[in-house]
Amino acid sequence: MRNTFTNTLTKVNHLRSIIGYNGLVYALKKLPVIGKHLPDKLYSLTALKVIYWIFHIIKEVSMLFIGKIFGLGMIYLAALLLNKGYIGYGMAEGISSPNLYASFALFMFIIYALFGLLINTRLFKCTTEKEYLVFMLRMNARTLNNTLFIFDLGKLVIGYLIAGIVAIIGGAPFWLWLGIPVLAVCIKLFGAGVLAAFYRSKHKHNKLLKGSTWGLIVRLLLVFMLLPVFMVLVINGYYVPLQYMLIIAAVFVLLGIWGFWELSRFDENLHRRALRDNIVRNEIESYKEPDHSKQFKRLKAKGTVKGDKKGFEYLNALFVRRHRTMLVLKAVIFTIVVLLIIALVLFEFIYGYARRFGSDSTWNMLFNNLINFFTGHGYADALHPFDENAATLFFRDCASKQLLLMIIPLSIADISFKSTQAMYINCDNSLMTFSFFKQREKIIRLFDIRLKQLIRINIWPALACGLFAVLILFNTGGQDYPFQYLLTVLVPVLISVINSMTWLTLYYLFQPFTTTVNVKGGAYRVTRIILTFITIIICWITLNTAVLAGVLTVFTVVYVILLRAIVKKYAPKTWKMKS
Amino acid sequence: MEFVISHLVKSYGSKQVLKDVDFVFEEGRIYGLLGRNGSGKTTFFNCINGDIDINSGSFYLRENSGSKDIIKIEPQDIGYLVSTPTVPEFMTGREFLKFFLEIHEEIKPDKTIDEYFDYMMIPEDDRDRLLKDYSHGTKNKMQMLLNIIASPRLVLLDEPLTSLDVIIAEEMKNVIRSQKQGRITIFSTHLLDVAVDLCDEIVLLHNGRLEPIDKSNLGDSDFKDKIIAALKDQDDA
Repeated sequence: MRNTFTNTLTKVNHLRSIIGYNGLVYALKKLPVIGKHLPDKLYSLTALKVIYWIFHIIKEVSMLFIGKIFGLGMIYLAALLLNKGYIGYGMAEGISSPNLYASFALFMFIIYALFGLLINTRLFKCTTEKEYLVFMLRMNARTLNNTLFIFDLGKLVIGYLIAGIVAIIGGAPFWLWLGIPVLAVCIKLFGAGVLAAFYRSKHKHNKLLKGSTWGLIVRLLLVFMLLPVFMVLVINGYYVPLQYMLIIAAVFVLLGIWGFWELSRFDENLHRRALRDNIVRNEIESYKEPDHSKQFKRLKAKGTVKGDKKGFEYLNALFVRRHRTMLVLKAVIFTIVVLLIIALVLFEFIYGYARRFGSDSTWNMLFNNLINFFTGHGYADALHPFDENAATLFFRDCASKQLLLMIIPLSIADISFKSTQAMYINCDNSLMTFSFFKQREKIIRLFDIRLKQLIRINIWPALACGLFAVLILFNTGGQDYPFQYLLTVLVPVLISVINSMTWLTLYYLFQPFTTTVNVKGGAYRVTRIILTFITIIICWITLNTAVLAGVLTVFTVVYVILLRAIVKKYAPKTWKMKS
Repeated sequence: MEFVISHLVKSYGSKQVLKDVDFVFEEGRIYGLLGRNGSGKTTFFNCINGDIDINSGSFYLRENSGSKDIIKIEPQDIGYLVSTPTVPEFMTGREFLKFFLEIHEEIKPDKTIDEYFDYMMIPEDDRDRLLKDYSHGTKNKMQMLLNIIASPRLVLLDEPLTSLDVIIAEEMKNVIRSQKQGRITIFSTHLLDVAVDLCDEIVLLHNGRLEPIDKSNLGDSDFKDKIIAALKDQDDA
């Protein structure tokens, strides 16, 4: 028995390390630039395998610490804090401090364990090593599943016993230190028993939970986890009496015994079938398109292109028409929200002014200030003068020296990434099989048309943001120098042009999507990370708007010319069908 | 005109898929590129079409066998029909054909759009539907039609009859036969009967090399046996 356990575990770990090592080498060989220089010999280098083995063991131990010790440790710590607070406020009548501690810890642990039960349904999950061992090397599926299950339980007990030291130091009763690992094992056995019983009766696995159901369960469990805190801090120190918690724990122990009995009669054949069914289910799941690609398929042949557009102009106009909702909606909503905020602020100000000073004065104020606005001056009114305070100065500072912060909202409103996804999945992916689509001049012609199109859509949120900044300037003293209002609008517009150019260029150079619009290729990912990092740094640069507008104008022109030249040079090589 | 492949090599890591491919294809003939599953037929086409980089070797066109003038292959010289047809899903068949004719300014169409559809036997009620709703066979016909209009010098057909029903497959065969003059057609398949039925020449792709098969007994049951034996031999070698 012991020998079988040790042998099986050794084989599994050996296979895991081989799969892990080969997977790592494969991933390294797929890296951009260096990947193709790595020799196939890496797969057979013993020294590297040993190093991998060491890391594999460190990883296993780390997982034990992170998953088990950290999880339960946090619960013990929370129980300790609650207990202290409870005792400190003198609300613990008729219960000793260790028992109160145990009550809190048990309450939170049972919720935590039930949560774990829902997400940890690995018993019949057919991992790669299980597939090899059972279906290729003909290992007994029951022995394998049970060995791995016992190994998991062993790790659980050790991890929880280590975490229990926190509880003992915090004043928990000794029985809790031993009791929680036993309870955890019983709950695990119960979970496994349920899976086994379900499979035995239905001859199929339980249905996978949908994303929305998961979200609901997580939220519910979080609420339950926070219940003791709520009880102690809000409803005058109420707690669930320890006796009740012990009864619940005892029920789980009984359920655990049932789970053990259920598992013990789950024979080899059933184990094997359960694993095979899991493979089939995974295969089916892998063929299902992820939800985010479906949104690109909702097309209808409604409407056509008006005017005399031909060739690529016709293609692009038709593309925008058929994807209108998908492409334009985000930019439109963003623009409307910004304009609504502006309108609400203005309404609130004008309505308050009218109530205070009457409608005649309000019309006067509006007329005068409209003239002020269009002549480049700031808000001025004798009845209700501008109140300069720390808040207004802060906003003025942002609108006159921190306009690069606009990168953040404009990146949120930007539609370029989604547009490139739609371009790929519904258009370019298929047209790349035609030779005309890969000709340099035609690539760059369509690139120019698409760039203009993206700019045309992205410019609206930029204008709205620019207007918002201008109104802040107007309301906080007006222009510091001529054309400041104009330049304040120009900056977000230029940022949106840079955004559009960047996304479109990345798309043309890396062709980074799969047919289910997932991102593929390390180089694209790395470039995006670098760009995000650079953007975060740039955002916080303080620069006078006049200087910023000047620098940005020059930069945008150079950037567009340079990237366009790069696309023209390299896109015929990258713009090709990839299997 | 001839399409010449000279010492073409393509490897993925240490695995050589195409080993020193050396062959000359002649104009006006349909070549059946026959190979087992995974023998490298699609890789061969992707190399020619420029979708993947080759390791070494070259391929080009020349006017005739005596000619020393090499004509570099440009994208517009190649028409490539992939086995799983992909078409821009947001367009209708008519819109796509209109766009295609406009983009090929050099083509002077001798037919109206509907006449082209008629030629390919694409039903009238399909013409104004989105291409995403087309059947596999109709998508395939659309691809073929565009290649006929573009009139490339070299046509690569990657298992275009796979998964087509009998009627559409027969219609496609007739179209391919009627279009062979003035161009070189290479038709890949792993189905021996299709190759024998449609092609003027049969070329085996196995063990990474192209080898012509003596076509004198094309159609004989012995001929089929010979090919099967050759494929088996090479595979076992």
